Amino acid sequence: MLPLDAAAYTNRWRPRHPGEKAFLSLGLLVCAVALPPWPGALLVGAVAAALLLGPAGVRPGQAWRVLSVPLGFVTVGSLPLLVAVGGTPWIRFEPAGLPLALELAARATAALLSLLLFAATTPLSDTLPRLARLGVPAAVTEVATLIYRMLFLLLDSVHAVREAQASRLGFRTWSTSYRSLSAQGGAIFVRAFDRARRLEDGLALRGYSGSLRVEVEQRPVSRPFVAASAVLLGAVVGGTLALRGVMG
Amino acid sequence: MHIAEGYLPPLHAVAWTVAAAPFVVHGARAVVRQLRTDPESKLLLGAAGAFSFVLSALKIPSVTGSCSHPTGTGLGAVLFRPPVMALLGTIVLFFQATLLAHGGLTTLGANAFSMAVAGPWVAYGVYRLARRLGGGLALGVFLAAALGDLATYCVTSVQLALAFPDAASGVLGAVVKFGSIFAITQIPLAISEGLLTVLIVRLLTRVSPAELTRLGLLRPAPGKEIAA
Repeated sequence: MLPLDAAAYTNRWRPRHPGEKAFLSLGLLVCAVALPPWPGALLVGAVAAALLLGPAGVRPGQAWRVLSVPLGFVTVGSLPLLVAVGGTPWIRFEPAGLPLALELAARATAALLSLLLFAATTPLSDTLPRLARLGVPAAVTEVATLIYRMLFLLLDSVHAVREAQASRLGFRTWSTSYRSLSAQGGAIFVRAFDRARRLEDGLALRGYSGSLRVEVEQRPVSRPFVAASAVLLGAVVGGTLALRGVMG
Repeated sequence: MHIAEGYLPPLHAVAWTVAAAPFVVHGARAVVRQLRTDPESKLLLGAAGAFSFVLSALKIPSVTGSCSHPTGTGLGAVLFRPPVMALLGTIVLFFQATLLAHGGLTTLGANAFSMAVAGPWVAYGVYRLARRLGGGLALGVFLAAALGDLATYCVTSVQLALAFPDAASGVLGAVVKFGSIFAITQIPLAISEGLLTVLIVRLLTRVSPAELTRLGLLRPAPGKEIAA
């Protein structure tokens, strides 16, 4: 199981309606991107992290496992702003780019934490069937649900194939590595289509008419939660603008 | 490389979403039409999407000794065609954002434009051209995968350059800057992805010819055509 998916199934906000969590998390995400990074990104990041580790009950270790790689991308992605091209010398360190690089890193980190607040509290199996209400065609949500259903089985298969190849020295040289990787690609293709064929047969035997209906657990939308989220988002916007005014 | 969550300014994020939307909507319409006439293909599309997701999670060796991941756009475009890839690629990018925190929701439009639209269309165009000019399946697949990968990274460089123009030389200088940074890792990776994709397709022609025929990559054997 992927760490983010595991967190999404085991956190304290799991029973909440996905719409409530989307309103709060995506609201914070919009704030992270749209508000001035200083102090907006700091406020949004702090609020998202506090909600994630506090009320939502995601363990710090779980959050770090998910965040470490994308945070590395954010850091590496900010470095080019410290380099200028053209003139003499043609490529050089540009200290004037430091404020922009820091702003970018802060904004991206705050946005990442906001995304995590949604992704680590809401399994995709809760989100996908409800996308139809937002106007996404049923056929598209059904294909997405099928992808979600199959990808964990395929990831397990790849893991098993990789372990078997590694224990037979399948990654000893470049040529054996390429041979092993192509076998992995071939194996997942064959397994994916084999599974689709078996699903097709199973559904045909059960009178498949073209619609894959799944039971969606009914959950009431908590008005207090939505109201508190709206107040919190308003406070983040107001706090950012007020602090910005104070900072001059 | 995915553009990380929050990396693009709001206007750029919206503009790239608007740019990618017609292709994704066109892909969704094509899929809905296909499913109306052939409901069973829904399961195959699910398999194709899951395959694309897992393919992009394979670790390929790179020259620096580290590992990187194939984009899978070339193989996806050749197997499933660009309109379908626009939709499947966007779904896969949405899954990567919400399951792996790679990419993001505000950058979904920009990433979809580079990886689900530009990459697959370039790959498919190159594949068709190579086959029309008499190139074999292996050459067509190699060029599609390698150039599809490179096209994805060129578009990403332009997206980043437009968002963050160079202080001294503007957008053009920034395209050179981001493009040069990517070129160090991406040209060897594009060649790696091309070679890997050829090996995968060669393997599939041996172990799964029926599926490749169904997807239109191989011509049906004359005997089987009559039998069908």
